[in-house]
Amino acid sequence: MVGIDFLLLIGALLILASIAIAKASDNLGVPTLVLFIAVGMLAGSEGPGGIFFDDAGMAQSIGIVALIFILFAGGLDTRWTSVRPVLWQALSLSTLGVFVTALSVGLFVHYVLEFSLLSGLLLGAIISSTDAAAVFSVLRSKNVSLRGKLKPLLELESGSNDPMAVFLTVGTIQLITSPESTLGEIILLFVVQMGLGVGIGLALGKGMVLLINRMKFSYEGMYPVFSLAAACFIYALTAVIGGSGFMAVYVGGLVVGNSEIVQKKSLFRFFDGLAWLGQIGMFLTLGLLVYPSNIAHVVGGGLLVSAFLMFVARPFSVFFATLLTDLQWREKTLVSWVGLRGAVPIILATFPKLARVPDADVIFNLVFFIVLTSALFQGWSLPAAARLLKVDAPMVRRRRYPLEFEPTEGVDAELQEFIVPYNSSAIGRPIVELGMPPNSLIVLISRNERMMVPSGGTILEPGDTILALVSRENLAEVRAILAEQKEKAAEQ
Amino acid sequence: MKIAEILHEQVVRTQLPGNTKTDIINAMIDMAATQERVLDKEKMREAIFEREKIMSTGVGSGFAIPHGKTDAVSDIVAAFAITAQPIDYQSLDDQPVRIVFLLVGRDNMVGPHIKLLSRISRLMNREEFRKRLLEAQSPAEVLEIFRQEEEMHFEV
Repeated sequence: MVGIDFLLLIGALLILASIAIAKASDNLGVPTLVLFIAVGMLAGSEGPGGIFFDDAGMAQSIGIVALIFILFAGGLDTRWTSVRPVLWQALSLSTLGVFVTALSVGLFVHYVLEFSLLSGLLLGAIISSTDAAAVFSVLRSKNVSLRGKLKPLLELESGSNDPMAVFLTVGTIQLITSPESTLGEIILLFVVQMGLGVGIGLALGKGMVLLINRMKFSYEGMYPVFSLAAACFIYALTAVIGGSGFMAVYVGGLVVGNSEIVQKKSLFRFFDGLAWLGQIGMFLTLGLLVYPSNIAHVVGGGLLVSAFLMFVARPFSVFFATLLTDLQWREKTLVSWVGLRGAVPIILATFPKLARVPDADVIFNLVFFIVLTSALFQGWSLPAAARLLKVDAPMVRRRRYPLEFEPTEGVDAELQEFIVPYNSSAIGRPIVELGMPPNSLIVLISRNERMMVPSGGTILEPGDTILALVSRENLAEVRAILAEQKEKAAEQ
Repeated sequence: MKIAEILHEQVVRTQLPGNTKTDIINAMIDMAATQERVLDKEKMREAIFEREKIMSTGVGSGFAIPHGKTDAVSDIVAAFAITAQPIDYQSLDDQPVRIVFLLVGRDNMVGPHIKLLSRISRLMNREEFRKRLLEAQSPAEVLEIFRQEEEMHFEV
């Protein structure tokens, strides 16, 4: 048994290396997931790292936990108002579209690569869901955004199609391992899983909002801990009673993220961090789990399936699932090209391994190869495709996190904001000449959407809001400086 | 953040009745407190009047911006009113007030709060803009004026 100190050292090194590489390749436009997997492969038993790891069960557990974080954070981050108009189109893509993708890939694999029909369908099911995180990480690194409904549509599609892929995979495995199951049973399973997932997600999400707002924890640090436990609870409870836990945790995140809650910003940030940890941890593990030499055996078949998926199955399923919508062909074409596969297929590929399904190893290696090629090839070409189809849009500035400040006990001075009065005599003079009392300081000036740290020479303008450190005894003096009016009133 | 995004018709009033500064602020707190994001109305009231004591928020030219930071709200709370009559607001330039913007932020969100304060105060410093607001007949019209003005002056 390896000691925990040593395990921690290895784990920390791997994560640090992943972050460093992701940072260094910010502008390459390669989805970060590929890089994380590469780090894992290099560290693995066939790379220079030489770490031996072949525990598919452990990899699957890590993957599920990571997916809970990622889906919950994805739900939190989805604005209901922006996805509401594309709800039906996205749902059609994530149910009908996923099904058609899985079916057509399955048939292709069966007829061309000569898999048994069920093994083919299993492979199709596993790779049927897309990953928006990969898409948007590419677009962000290239400073490109997408026009109109495309962004919310793709986000909602990829957030909600994972449960469908999970279901199809589990359903197909059930058909393989217990051949007596009927189609009726599988359909019933679908209804029960999705129904329970959505229902419990809605109910517990609402409950979570109520509790967070009512709890009044004395320590702010408790809020993220509470939410973390609640998110895991939503997943686990649903899964234990036979529903789709992934669906529930995504819906739960959606509910929480679109409600009024205290500590919203810090919760968002917390889950954003967890989602990143989940991404890195999951891809590292999967990189460790795979044996590159085994992948080499499937390159030929992998390329065929990959190409079929990108050029036939995905476009066909997209156009089919959006037949009745008002999307333009340009938009449909772009959606077809945004078929990047991410972590979910690789995690799902461990399911047949654990269920001891025949062909499980080949399927795992094929899926791994397909994910890599689709992420690399489609990821790389995506900004160009968006431009070519004229559906790109300039990137809007990302929301910055607020400044936070805690009054410190024992220090008499407080940070106080003042709106500089329009006709204040403090306007137009350098700060150093205002004669601020010795124990006070203008710390920040907010002007024209910018925050500036002033120097003595900075000149106040009308409309500025300042943040000043002022002690109680100096308050009157500071007030007098700002309140004093210029001789003649302005704008009269 | 855009001002037009934090205001909506339920929290905007033209011809708001009231005789004193306190009347007006209280009436606006009532308007704002219909929203779910106000978790504790009395605590919010306290924060606003507490801030008013530090320095009058009647910043001049007939405009006042009562504000506060408190954990009694879960997100930014805003209200806007044109008063039915000029109000003695103890403004810094001693002029009566007719335009009032109420803004309450969470106490751990200093950054967005003062950014909004400065955006509002900068907009309101334009005389022509104040005139248009004073002539507005309905909340919807007020919102439209804000939207146009913001589009003109800020890259959003």
